[in-house]
Amino acid sequence: MVVLSSISRGVEPAAGRSGRRPMPHPMDHVLAAVPVFWLAIFFLAPLGFTVVFSFGHATFGGVEPGFTFDNYRMALSGFYGATFARTLVFALSASGLCLVAAFPVAYFIARHTQRRRNLAIGLILIPYFSSFLIRVMSLQMLMSRGGVAEAVLNALRWHQGPLDVLDTQTAVFIGMVYAYLPIAIVPLYVVLDRIPGPLLEASRDLGASRWRTFLFVTLPLSRPGIATAALLTAVPMLGEMVIPKLLGGSRGVLMGQAIAAQYLQAQNYPLGSAMAVLVLVLVAILVTVLARLTKGFAEVGR
Amino acid sequence: MTRHPILPSSSLSRRSVLRLLGAFPAAAAAATVVSGASRARAAATGQLNIYSWPDYFSTESLAAYARKTGVTPNIATYDSDDTLFAKLNSPAGAGFDIVIPGSSWIKQLAARGLLQEIDHARLNLGSLDPNLLNRGYDPGNKYSIPKDWGLLGVVYDPQAVGGEIKTWEDFFKAGEKPDVSGKIRLSDSGWETIGPALWLEGKDWNTASVAEIRAAGARLKTFAKHVKSFSGLDANALANGSIVLAQTNQAKARAAIGLNPALKWVVPGPTSELWVDNYAIVKNAPNLDQAYDFLAYQLQPDVQLAETQYIGFPAALAGLRDRIGADVKNADLIFGGKDLDFKALTSFVVNPQTVGTYSQVQAEIQAAAG
Repeated sequence: MVVLSSISRGVEPAAGRSGRRPMPHPMDHVLAAVPVFWLAIFFLAPLGFTVVFSFGHATFGGVEPGFTFDNYRMALSGFYGATFARTLVFALSASGLCLVAAFPVAYFIARHTQRRRNLAIGLILIPYFSSFLIRVMSLQMLMSRGGVAEAVLNALRWHQGPLDVLDTQTAVFIGMVYAYLPIAIVPLYVVLDRIPGPLLEASRDLGASRWRTFLFVTLPLSRPGIATAALLTAVPMLGEMVIPKLLGGSRGVLMGQAIAAQYLQAQNYPLGSAMAVLVLVLVAILVTVLARLTKGFAEVGR
Repeated sequence: MTRHPILPSSSLSRRSVLRLLGAFPAAAAAATVVSGASRARAAATGQLNIYSWPDYFSTESLAAYARKTGVTPNIATYDSDDTLFAKLNSPAGAGFDIVIPGSSWIKQLAARGLLQEIDHARLNLGSLDPNLLNRGYDPGNKYSIPKDWGLLGVVYDPQAVGGEIKTWEDFFKAGEKPDVSGKIRLSDSGWETIGPALWLEGKDWNTASVAEIRAAGARLKTFAKHVKSFSGLDANALANGSIVLAQTNQAKARAAIGLNPALKWVVPGPTSELWVDNYAIVKNAPNLDQAYDFLAYQLQPDVQLAETQYIGFPAALAGLRDRIGADVKNADLIFGGKDLDFKALTSFVVNPQTVGTYSQVQAEIQAAAG
């Protein structure tokens, strides 16, 4: 929620310009209380436990309350520290790849679909009606030996013989980009759609080429969309477990798997909690950086 | 510990999907909410609450039990023994009557006071295979009754491997060959990957020290570069040659051999794993009488046979092999092969001192393969 509100401020310039705020209705407080209670019970309370656990001492399948930084020391050193760093690099690169793939699609929908726009958006979102797991499983079948991808690539003569892409990092990246593409496209589309046409015309009238217009007008104005898309893809990728398991053969452990292993296999709740808190801190840093990027955006109106 | 068979015909079988859905936290959470509500009402009427692996009871036997007694067991599912332990060890674990823990976790569950002792006067274990009774993980079967069992073995393509595999040493040697490297599947469980290296050094995986586990793990970390996957094994991957050497259980091996009869199965020496999934009764089971009644029903030979056919792993019934009809293909494989030596098998027992090491070294092995 913190994430969304801080970013959406940039996406909705109207809120910054209106100046006057309407008086809050008493009912508004009641409406606001519902999500606040929900978050307090199902988000803040568990988070509080996690933080408390992360300073405790491990007993097998339990926690002795205490105050020690040992768990954090362990989570940041040696193997787990390396896993942490690898996860960050992985999430950022997969998220970057996702954005690179999403931008042209969003651009096309915003500029070139006219009346078929709803259809285009619908086509992007339809896969979301099926379970995430089913979609990844389907991808696994497509990419396996003797699968459709192999047949198509062979028919196009881009590849000869059996295709062994499954259980590689390539397959994990393909899966990540595929799974998170729609959530990158939608915020980018929203922001590209809001860029006023007259601005682009003005740029062209002043002699800028299409490329320069894109670089100096469109791209800077789509910063909030880029930031939102980056956040919405990178954050879940930091904890991604299913795609590496189904498409990557569980090779090259990421933080999500490491945390789950501490909680379940090793029954070491404090170490698992410390790792989880560190991921959360990382997310907070990402949010701050991206919020910075979109700062002052409200002033650029239509 | 991926021990569940996938139907030979397709990689996307109903079971594998269910299992994955079971593994998915949101689905698990939803299942918890639903089962929690129904469990709260359970004690009043004749009911029974089972917490088990997914799809681990024959639907026909369950239906027959419901016809006979008017009680349809409520079954909630987990996807690993660790999950079972974590849940029973928390307030969310209240209300279950019967759970199906693996042999490795019985001792820890009992030590935590999460299981109750089984009243042997109320059940007759006389029909069960003595090989599966009174084993090290639960002497005297104080807390557990064997439900079904499986093995850690190896399925391989003799042509790619270029010979026969008899020991774990053969397994590691074969993995380094150019035709095999990069087409290997290892277990995702630390003790199942490191165990073979310990056994080759004459060590017991239940008594090995942290240093010994790390030393044996070092061999696996070197070996990791040959490994393609640590995820659940797909029988199709073995059939189409993308994997030619795999650690797995006998049911998965049987599925793969059903698809490609050229493949071979072996339980390598000097030692390998026998795991047993067990019926156990939860400490404060609200429907205790119903639980005993259900267990007595499950232990009947006819039901045991139906269970074996349904889940693909052998029930614990003595002489079960002779009851399997001649029409069942590769029936010996259900029992791990014709001349399985139970004396060469060992069952893992989770030890709080070392289980974290097994888990961490496994993570390091998987990372080394990346």
